[in-house]
Amino acid sequence: MFESLLNALPVALQFESLISLFVGTLIGILIGALPGLNPVMAIALMLPLTYGFDPIIALGLVAGIYNGSMYGGSIPAILLNIPGTPAAIATTFDGYPMTRKGEGGLALKTACWSSAIGGIVSALALMTLAPMLAKVTLAFGPAEYFWVAVFGLVSIALLVGKDASKGMLCALLGVIIGLVGVDTISGAERFTFDTLYLVGGFELLVVLIGLYAVPPVLEMAEKRNESYFNAESFRVSPGGGALGLLRRHWRTWSRSSLIGVAVGILPGAGGNLAALLSYNEAKRKSSEPESFGTGNPVGIAAAESGNSADNAAAMIPSLTLGIPGNLIAALVLGALMIHGLQPGPQLFTRAPDVVFGFMWQMLLTAMLLLLLGGMVATRLFAQVLRMPSALLVPTTLVLMAVGVYTVNGNVMDLYVMLGFGLLGYLLNRLGFPLAPVVLGVLLGPMAEQNFRLTMLIAQNDWTVLFTRPISLGIVALLAAVLISQLLKTLRQRARSAAHSQQR
Amino acid sequence: MKLTLLLTTATASALALTPALASDYPNRPIELIVPAPAGGGTDNVARMLNQYLEAELGQPVAVLNVAGGGGAIGVNQFSRARSDGYTLLSTWNSPITTVPHMQRVQYSYETLTPITSTSQSAYTLCVAPDFPAESGEEFLAELQANPGRYTYGNDGVGGTMRLAAERIFEAFDITARPIPFGGAGETLQNFLGGHVDIYGGSITPVLPYVEEGQAKCLLVTSADDNEALPQASGLAALGHPELETVLWRMMLGPEGMAEERAEAVADAVARAVEHPEFQAFLAAQGETLNLVRGEELRERLRLETQAIGETLESLGLKQQ
Repeated sequence: MFESLLNALPVALQFESLISLFVGTLIGILIGALPGLNPVMAIALMLPLTYGFDPIIALGLVAGIYNGSMYGGSIPAILLNIPGTPAAIATTFDGYPMTRKGEGGLALKTACWSSAIGGIVSALALMTLAPMLAKVTLAFGPAEYFWVAVFGLVSIALLVGKDASKGMLCALLGVIIGLVGVDTISGAERFTFDTLYLVGGFELLVVLIGLYAVPPVLEMAEKRNESYFNAESFRVSPGGGALGLLRRHWRTWSRSSLIGVAVGILPGAGGNLAALLSYNEAKRKSSEPESFGTGNPVGIAAAESGNSADNAAAMIPSLTLGIPGNLIAALVLGALMIHGLQPGPQLFTRAPDVVFGFMWQMLLTAMLLLLLGGMVATRLFAQVLRMPSALLVPTTLVLMAVGVYTVNGNVMDLYVMLGFGLLGYLLNRLGFPLAPVVLGVLLGPMAEQNFRLTMLIAQNDWTVLFTRPISLGIVALLAAVLISQLLKTLRQRARSAAHSQQR
Repeated sequence: MKLTLLLTTATASALALTPALASDYPNRPIELIVPAPAGGGTDNVARMLNQYLEAELGQPVAVLNVAGGGGAIGVNQFSRARSDGYTLLSTWNSPITTVPHMQRVQYSYETLTPITSTSQSAYTLCVAPDFPAESGEEFLAELQANPGRYTYGNDGVGGTMRLAAERIFEAFDITARPIPFGGAGETLQNFLGGHVDIYGGSITPVLPYVEEGQAKCLLVTSADDNEALPQASGLAALGHPELETVLWRMMLGPEGMAEERAEAVADAVARAVEHPEFQAFLAAQGETLNLVRGEELRERLRLETQAIGETLESLGLKQQ
């Protein structure tokens, strides 16, 4: 295997491959940075143009767009509080407060390095551990997926911070939004109000753009006469060198990258989950969890390395098993098939140059991020902050509308986006956190579907949820997290009680 | 008054001119609605065919993806388009023959103009190597003998694969437990992981595992046997060719599209599919060419709509 890996390196380093990586990464950063435009669409539209060329060129473009967009999504998240891609939601938590404090440059630099590191770790996992990790993928049945979703839902408790009841309400709201549409198990329609539009449920991207990207635009419009950013925020000169970042973040990077890879090998889980779990874990492990959400660069490091580490790992089930881990992986499989390469276990022996070449490309694009992202894109996009709100607001809205329209080609989606935008704005104003809503939309249906699939398979014997070894492992982990958090809270309470008695 | 008369005459003469212009069709770009998201199987095949179709029609054809509602949203939008032949639909069978039984839609096989079908692929049922059956017949006998024991992964309620399987099971008096997944990929994952007993889905994803000996496919849902799966029986071999339920693709026009124009498109498609690159592409997708045109196509849609309606009714899924 390592021989094939080495043999494929020259393939990935061909001139054409390098050009496609370069172009792909650049397009990816752009697509990611423009809210609404999404990498899946970009890849779906670009792939047919490459059918006439060598597959490695097509795959180079995919690798570039894929990794580039993951970083690109963090740019508007940090500068404008608008996640460029759904996976960049967790990046807004600390990224935007940093910009307001005038540390936008450092935030962007942290995001760039974190994305690159996450991408590199993920690509290395793909190169060395793919066949082994594919076995893990298969061991996860509906029961295990259920517990993964529950784990994510429980982590909401950590996200909500001080006002727990508001957070829980928001999570429930998210779950309800996720319920809309045809129930895939029974075929019954839920909350569709007899409209055809709602039969398929809400498109996740439309909901996320509405909830997360519209409110900041409205707020920008509101404050058009005040200076929205202080003069300091124009400063994008990076603070501290790469070594400083490494010293500061290596723990977070390694932890988040592992979480990203673990989420990545599970088809259907996704980069947004990886980012949120990484963020929570960093917050939980931190000595100063209160500083999260107020502009702590560790939060950015966790979110960005988490979502980027999802990328190459999501290719593991696609390349080794022929099971696409996400929409982009499905497109890669389609591209391989068009070139006559049947995905599945034999792919590694039948077309080693293509498979291993693609793995190298995933690694190379992650490295290219440092060059293109750090040197070019960051400086360029930071200029956005100089744009007057009167220009920035309509431009952003138009871009989002175009992006949302291209998902399904349905005008109705635009109204839904605006509707969720107003809802998000209201919730923001009333002090309700939005992250739990998003987690609810993502994880509620995942937990429900998989619970019911488990019950269908086991004929309503719920003990299977605990008797399968991996399920039990996740349950134990879940219990450990909950208990440690409980102890921490109790200790804090005792301490503050003791404190007040002393006075 | 004079003006009205003038306008009427002008309109009438314009209308009279239309048939004369039919030979010019198409003389401007065509919009092709695909009721599925970009990058999916339906979209891939439509875009690939499009490359060759554009050359045959001599006009650019722009693909517009209108996804959602199991295809119904796209077809609904399409059914309201002008029937001048400049808006066409490229779809698979489910939105036309299945979805109208389950949702209220604004179209049916009776109203849309049939142009031509293009390609089709069967579904297959596969089991693990240690399953106590070696042929289609033994497989069905084992299922018959153990009602409710085996689980089969499928593409969900109202999915064409599930309907294909239920039609067969009904005819052979079999009770198997359907486990609905999001599609063939998810089903394959759960089948390989041993979470369900039977794989039910398209042929291509499971093919590598048949070669590796990790799966044996014993049944295909087409009437004919399938070359790629020698161990599997077609439905004709089991004495029930009428139970054939496959995934197939077609091009349709809006209600009232002129016949000459439908013919012109069908001719262009027939020439486009002759390109060896397109045929190689179809083979890689596990699909075979299948060109049925005009009223014959409508008849095929009618028969399938009826058969699927009956199956859905017996499953209790049909909506009145």
